[in-house]
Amino acid sequence: MWFRSATLLWRRTALPAGRPFPRCYSTPTPTSPELYDVVCVGGGPAGLSLLAALRSSAATSGLKVALVEGQDLKKNVLRDSTPSTFSNRCSSLTPASVRYLKEIGAWSFIDESRVQPYQGMEVWDGLSGSKITFDWDETNSVARRPSRHDSQTIAYMIENINLTTGLQNFLKALGGITILSPAKVESISYGDSTGSSNLSTWPVVKVSGGQTLAARLLVGADGANSPVRTFAGIQSRGWRYERMGMVATIQLESEPVRKIAYQRFLSTGPIAMLPLPGKMASLVWSTTPERAEVLKALSEEDFSAMVNAGFRLSDPDLQYLHGLEAGQAKEVEWRRRHTPQSGAVPTTVIGVQENTIAAFPLQLRHADTYTAERIALVGDAAHTIHPLAGQGLNLGQGDIASLVRTIKSAVESGQDIGSTLALEQYTSERYAANNTVMGVCDKLHKLYSFQSAPIVGLRSLGLSAVDKLGFLKGFLMRNAAGGA
Amino acid sequence: MTTPKLSRIRLPLSPKPTLTNSTIRSPTVRHHTTSTINTSEINHFNALASSWWDPHGPSRLLHLMNPPRHTFLRSCLASHPTQPSKNLHLLDVGCGGGIFAESAARLPHFSSITAIDPSPSVLTVAQAHLALDPPLHATNKLTYLQSSIEDLPRTKQYDVVSMFEVLEHVSNPSNFLREATQRVKPGGWIVGSTIARTWTSWVVTNVIAEEVLGVVPRGTHDWRKYVNEYELRAWFVKLTAGTDVGGMDGGRWDFRSQGVVYVPGFGWRVVEGGEKFGNYFFAARRME
Ligand SMILES: Cc1cc2nc3c(=O)[nH]c(=O)nc-3n(C[C@H](O)[C@H](O)[C@H](O)COP(=O)(O)OP(=O)(O)OC[C@H]3O[C@@H](n4cnc5c(N)ncnc54)[C@H](O)[C@@H]3O)c2cc1C
Repeated sequence: MWFRSATLLWRRTALPAGRPFPRCYSTPTPTSPELYDVVCVGGGPAGLSLLAALRSSAATSGLKVALVEGQDLKKNVLRDSTPSTFSNRCSSLTPASVRYLKEIGAWSFIDESRVQPYQGMEVWDGLSGSKITFDWDETNSVARRPSRHDSQTIAYMIENINLTTGLQNFLKALGGITILSPAKVESISYGDSTGSSNLSTWPVVKVSGGQTLAARLLVGADGANSPVRTFAGIQSRGWRYERMGMVATIQLESEPVRKIAYQRFLSTGPIAMLPLPGKMASLVWSTTPERAEVLKALSEEDFSAMVNAGFRLSDPDLQYLHGLEAGQAKEVEWRRRHTPQSGAVPTTVIGVQENTIAAFPLQLRHADTYTAERIALVGDAAHTIHPLAGQGLNLGQGDIASLVRTIKSAVESGQDIGSTLALEQYTSERYAANNTVMGVCDKLHKLYSFQSAPIVGLRSLGLSAVDKLGFLKGFLMRNAAGGA
Repeated sequence: MTTPKLSRIRLPLSPKPTLTNSTIRSPTVRHHTTSTINTSEINHFNALASSWWDPHGPSRLLHLMNPPRHTFLRSCLASHPTQPSKNLHLLDVGCGGGIFAESAARLPHFSSITAIDPSPSVLTVAQAHLALDPPLHATNKLTYLQSSIEDLPRTKQYDVVSMFEVLEHVSNPSNFLREATQRVKPGGWIVGSTIARTWTSWVVTNVIAEEVLGVVPRGTHDWRKYVNEYELRAWFVKLTAGTDVGGMDGGRWDFRSQGVVYVPGFGWRVVEGGEKFGNYFFAARRME
């Protein structure tokens, strides 16, 4: 097979200067690949939304598209029809994201009985008690109000699996897509040039089933460790927060009268409770890996007590409680009685749904660019973000809307949808916008990770100031609602 | 034509219309040949061939102008409801590296595209670039020919004859246009873009674009060859009236135009009245 590596060598050296060195981790495939206009790697929220949007728009429905997903999509669907238990992977979808899903026709495939819209946000500083109240009505004057229904709603809590199941069903109804699942990407390399057919700029994806697909445009919707990004030689920079995002589906003492999101900044990171239908809620607690280990090992009763403590007790109390091996429930009950409560706190947690406690490492990463020749990155493949503003999935929805718009205008003007020129619009629309949101979330995280008195002082000044500055709050609110 | 040196070009104080009896003639054409092709122009474009498709290369502005070309052409075609909207045959004159021809070939309403250019090296580039899109190549919709318009048989007529950024590069626009009009079917269109010969266009294309910003390669433009919108319009009026040189029946034509301006950071924008001072699109429909 020496000749094959020789062709490979030739192709590498023949690449135009300036293009990143392709990670070609296999020899080219001998059989000729099937040609597609769009090959999307990754069938998470971003990838499925992309395909749905492409198939449902008249201008792009003629494109030949394929999806490659490593996991078995058929197994990854919502089975529970009673909204009493919920998946621990939930996201808050902004009105802008919901609007987009409605626009492409996917929203009606979502089980709305499992979706919880919420109308308010209570955010406060655990050290100083300084508070910022997000209430939509206050900021109405600066916020865009697309419809009466949306105007009261900051966001919609939805299980990721509800979203992806809906998208899968929508795609089934639309038809016309080649879906390879479960099929892991094994290698990506450039195609061959034979006679008049020159695939030397086309990425060819080889999947675990043995099939090969050549892509006019290869979309990486393949998550934080994107193999497509690696192939394109696009660097992704950032840092780990040395924090874990603990998630759990929790049960409240009673159904809250008003559905509100609560977030308290602790020195280890924010603890957030987001409403689900009925008495249920979704917990996202960013904390140190050590504390995450402690919390994971607790009994249901003690874990619930720690969540209640997280929203109510002081930093030294919490530090002490994390040092105990068990018995937090009693300790917390006693301490709660002796801690004066100021302002709104969430309804008391009384239980945790079985097998829903999990923890994910948190990181901030941003790819250097979202596009290269015949490559586009969307969703977590392009950026991962601290979950404190619940923006990760929403940024991905914004990416999809922009990329589909870009592809549409390229199709309408006869451009090759994989050309860098055609894809430029996507990067320029999304990069700076995403960077701003990522920067704000990162700064908030850093600001609240300090315990030293001067910074806490500044911080309370900061939050009170933010609370008073209508326009700044308006900016934060609009970004939280994805309407900026 | 050699690369114009700034010092050699005198500022035009009042750009004079150069409409003679029946032809639009560039003020600097010193000799008449039967060919509308200018050899120094060919050499200039040969030299640009290799970078034709580089999105950040010297042809960037042309690439950016391509989508608005289609928008303009689509609006023309849509303006006549009786117009067949499918299976159109297109002749692209002065196709260069194929920016417009290739994109037209991807559109479903064109069933064939014949793209011609006198420069062999740009055609090699066009052909090689087409091969990078095997599905498109396999449709055989797009044919590149090394030819001038006058060498094409007059018996074959097209639904659309396009000439984007060509008029300002030919030696004898009047002859060139006459050749083009004879290849348009009744009910068909001539469509193109060019630059008006005005103070502004001289400063923008020769000074700013070529010399200051360097976004257009030096020597691409000879300002003296630019054709004004009113000259072009008048030319079609005369052709329609049958007062054209030679007295032959040139058909009846309905002319229109649209000014466009390049706004750095935003791309090409339609600007009403822009045809009077800078780049503009034009189209003329041959009435049945
Ligand atoms: C604790 C936590 C809380 C969060 N809360 C929120 C929130 O409230 N709001 C919000 O908007 N976002 C939230 N997020 C972020 C959100 O979950 C992600 O942004 C979102 O899931 C990203 O979607 P995606 O489709 O881009 O990527 P993913 O969901 O990661 O999907 C990538 C897909 O690619 C597939 N894949 C990867 N490699 C291969 C391969 N080699 N071959 C084939 N397939 C492959 C994977 O199987 C996967 O299905 C949160 C994240 C965390 C960690």
